[in-house]
Amino acid sequence: MADDVIDLQVWKGDWGLPTVDPACLSTLSYCRFSGVPLKLRKTGNPWRSPSGELPIMKHRNVTETKVSEIFSYLRKQNYGCDFALSNKQSADAVAFSSMLEEKLLPAILHLWWIDGKTFVDFTRPWYTKVLPFPLNFFIPGQKQKQASLRVSLTKGGTNVSDTELEAKIYKEAKECMNLLAYRLGKQEYFFGSTPSSLDALVFGYLAPILKAPLPNNQLQNHLKMCDNLCSLCNRILLRYFPPDPEEEAKKKKAEASKSQSSSDLQEFPNKKRNMVLAAIFALTAMAGYAFLSGIIQIDIVDDSNSTSNNTSSSYFSKPQTYKNEPVFEDNDGYDDE
Amino acid sequence: MSSLVAEAVQAELGAYEPWPDNACLYQPYQVEQITFPDYANCLSVKTFLHMCGLEFHTEVRTNAEEMSPSGKVPFIHVGAFLVSELDPIIAFVNTRGFQLSRDLDEGMKSEMRAYMALIENVMVNAELYLAWIDEAVSEEITKPRYGYIHPWPLNRLLPWQKQSNVRARLNSVGWAKKTMDEVCDEVKTCCQALAERLDSKQYFFGDKPTELDALVFGHLYTILTTRLPVSRFAEIVQQFSNLTAFCTRVEENFYKKYGRDF
Repeated sequence: MADDVIDLQVWKGDWGLPTVDPACLSTLSYCRFSGVPLKLRKTGNPWRSPSGELPIMKHRNVTETKVSEIFSYLRKQNYGCDFALSNKQSADAVAFSSMLEEKLLPAILHLWWIDGKTFVDFTRPWYTKVLPFPLNFFIPGQKQKQASLRVSLTKGGTNVSDTELEAKIYKEAKECMNLLAYRLGKQEYFFGSTPSSLDALVFGYLAPILKAPLPNNQLQNHLKMCDNLCSLCNRILLRYFPPDPEEEAKKKKAEASKSQSSSDLQEFPNKKRNMVLAAIFALTAMAGYAFLSGIIQIDIVDDSNSTSNNTSSSYFSKPQTYKNEPVFEDNDGYDDE
Repeated sequence: MSSLVAEAVQAELGAYEPWPDNACLYQPYQVEQITFPDYANCLSVKTFLHMCGLEFHTEVRTNAEEMSPSGKVPFIHVGAFLVSELDPIIAFVNTRGFQLSRDLDEGMKSEMRAYMALIENVMVNAELYLAWIDEAVSEEITKPRYGYIHPWPLNRLLPWQKQSNVRARLNSVGWAKKTMDEVCDEVKTCCQALAERLDSKQYFFGDKPTELDALVFGHLYTILTTRLPVSRFAEIVQQFSNLTAFCTRVEENFYKKYGRDF
């Protein structure tokens, strides 16, 4: 039975969402819609992924990291929420999912990663907080570079300026939302009363726009005007992602401890570790300086009894006379010269 | 005036102006120079204009790509405006009162847009992949054609530069690392979706052509008729008999009937 559980790693969640990344959110909701037995791990470390991206799905010996491939793998394992669709509806699902990728994704990437103010004030701090220590220095920059390449190479051209490009992609994204709203109409989900893979994708793209408190969010303003899309997101969130009691407890605990402790703990979460690291660094530097400038000398005497590390340190142990300087020696029966 | 900023202005200015007689479409030389992804785009635009019943004449220029406001072919020159690529051209023509999809309801219109995005997302990338990434096609066909009009060092350098641009573009959307088989799978899924949608109808949305029909015709007809060392895409399209019948129908109704050239 444990063999059937699918291991899924996604970015951590925030703002009432189970995970903040569109791809992770789509995958997760697809799994929930089709009742896949999941072992969900929320992580901030994409290091182990073969493509450097999250989500990572592992099942038996298979590892997939792309949303479309995860969907088709799950479909082959007989997990899916599209089996009830007619051929024409499946064709529509394929078409609409390309529209999301073609029209909505560039604007989302622009909003989170390329818009300078949002990136500096919001996206980068969030990812820096979530990522573990050495990765947090370069992963945000790397992701930003990927996003800007993606947007400029597919949407821009040789003679297109940045402002024109920005106007174009946001216009397309807003049109795309309108088209989705028309298509959804008054239905509960895109293809009737049960959710499909298209609902999972739409939810993945739209929910972060709706929930994230970005400083300048023109997409959110537009999305709020499309009532049926907003209620679709909220419905899925409510029905398939009920608040986890464990996490609620954790959150409350964190809030309680936050109110007790001073505010600088919040700003520097790894204060203790940093202090220890700084102390070690300072000590090493001072000792190194003292050693190199000859204040301290380590003298290892070549002795027939001694067995270890003589050769490696013998370079430093030129015989010298020392008068007032302190001498560091082993006490294991070595003699002075 | 560039195509992107101009859109809003055109809606104001162009609304009541009639379509002029001297409208023209610029594209690279068809027989010797044009690469087939560009040819598919040109054919889509021409078919769209024919479907709207608008008159234009085609101007061939060796440097059409450099003349275009967005750096992509084809572009049209109408009165004071230069507009390039299909989507802006559709928007521009709409402001002149010609809209093929006028009779569709909002739900149908959004479906039409979704299928157009499918073509852009899958077919365009697949064509670029076949033309520039596939070793045999790029060395034998695409690069010599792209460099055809240039003298010696340039006919090597420019195709090489274009190839690296295309590779960077495909890389950013995750296509450059795909194998030929994976690309063929994508094309097949796309064709399947189109075939389902078309079913046994005359055009994708009933008896009248829409923008989607122009776009699909441009791409599928190019894939079917271009002779390449690798013909796997054509074989895939030929498996769907309603799509090939659709191509013949559009060719008959908008080109052969009027004795037009492509």
